[in-house]
Amino acid sequence: MELVKKVLHGDEGSAARLISMIEEGLDEGYEAVSLLFPHTGKAHVIGVTGAPGAGKSTIVDKLAVSYGRQGEKVGIIAVDPTSAKGSGAFLGDRVRMRDAEKVKGIFIRSMAHRGFPGGVAKATLGAAYVLDGLGKEIILIESVGAGQTEIQISMICDSVITVLTPDYGDELQLLKAGLIEIGDIVVMNKMDKPGAAEAAEDIEFYLMNRKNQPWQTPVLTMEARKGKGVERLVEALGEHHKYTEGDVQGKSAKKEKTKQLVMALFKEEAWSAIMKSILGKTDFEVIMQKAQDGTIDPYRAVRMALRIALPGSGKMEENYAR
Amino acid sequence: MQDKMRLKVLIAKPGLDGHDRGAKVVAQALKEAGMEVVYSGLHRTIDQIVNIAVQEDVDVIGLSIMTGAHIPITQRLFQKIKEKGIDNKMVFVGGVIPSRDIPKLKEIGVVGVFPGGTPLAETIHFLQSTVKKG
Repeated sequence: MELVKKVLHGDEGSAARLISMIEEGLDEGYEAVSLLFPHTGKAHVIGVTGAPGAGKSTIVDKLAVSYGRQGEKVGIIAVDPTSAKGSGAFLGDRVRMRDAEKVKGIFIRSMAHRGFPGGVAKATLGAAYVLDGLGKEIILIESVGAGQTEIQISMICDSVITVLTPDYGDELQLLKAGLIEIGDIVVMNKMDKPGAAEAAEDIEFYLMNRKNQPWQTPVLTMEARKGKGVERLVEALGEHHKYTEGDVQGKSAKKEKTKQLVMALFKEEAWSAIMKSILGKTDFEVIMQKAQDGTIDPYRAVRMALRIALPGSGKMEENYAR
Repeated sequence: MQDKMRLKVLIAKPGLDGHDRGAKVVAQALKEAGMEVVYSGLHRTIDQIVNIAVQEDVDVIGLSIMTGAHIPITQRLFQKIKEKGIDNKMVFVGGVIPSRDIPKLKEIGVVGVFPGGTPLAETIHFLQSTVKKG
């Protein structure tokens, strides 16, 4: 495909176009990804997640500058939320990435998450492949920052940074937090705030229970806006990348991630296909009507609907079908 | 499955003026109308704006200009988008634009001019009915 060739030759416009095609879910977009895929895998894909306002954009900005100085080719994908009420989005991350923009050869792309769960968009992985094919060696992905359920970002990144601030909440929040679990590196940002040192210690303590694991999640302290702690973060990212590439356990972790990723994408596509197959069908509308009238309970309605969508499933429901 | 096509709009603030309340209000309104809006931030050069338009693959570029320099800025932008091969993107202009300058802007290639005070619904309707995807 012509477009793929152009991307591999470093044409930015073609890369941008291809990312849009993947975002729109066009078949040509996915075909292009398949052609591009054998040429990818060279880049270090780094995810940055954390609560809104924790400093993700600033950290991405500083990392891009630091990698740029080392002569690495950098790409950024900044994911912002799609409005819960409609399909629109305000993509404003570039405003805080003004230093990164000056890095030679950098490619920055904003992306609305379009309702995909997990803090990234369905197209984010595809966009990462495109940037990899474009020749970027470091790809930084900034997640939506919704908080505790950002699982998918870890599936598409080699390394994930979880950014926290001293006011992340009490220890209980930590214990239930999925956010810390997915971080390969935890950053305590805004160290100039009161209580920061204690907060960092709390997290170290929390992570101690995982001492016997092959990768020791470091807790790094930063004042990202002033550029404090950036070098140490780059160093830690390098160590983690080496671990995922070299270590046997690192490699098996990668396989597990791929499995989860395929399952997550399958779920998304299967869901769309199923919805398409039942919406507007009279049988389904009848079931819905019954549920709305209260003549059947919601569980039963769902099981009956499933039988229409996937014939052969839900054998038990045959008793209901009378 | 194919998602619904969505308009992607760049709202850009070229040059020296430091007022972006209007640009943000428009950005917010377009977002609520279902568009994906990339906001550039203040003090952008034409080169930067065109670069953002390329990387973000937006369908339309909106310039917010309050400095009175809308004619030279717009001319430079059109020159640059031609050079970069993205002159298929539509351009609209808002801000402080005297009505006598509107014909000149249209001549340069601007598809729509929405001076301060234009009802937001008008801008939204214009973009939805005029801008083509891709």
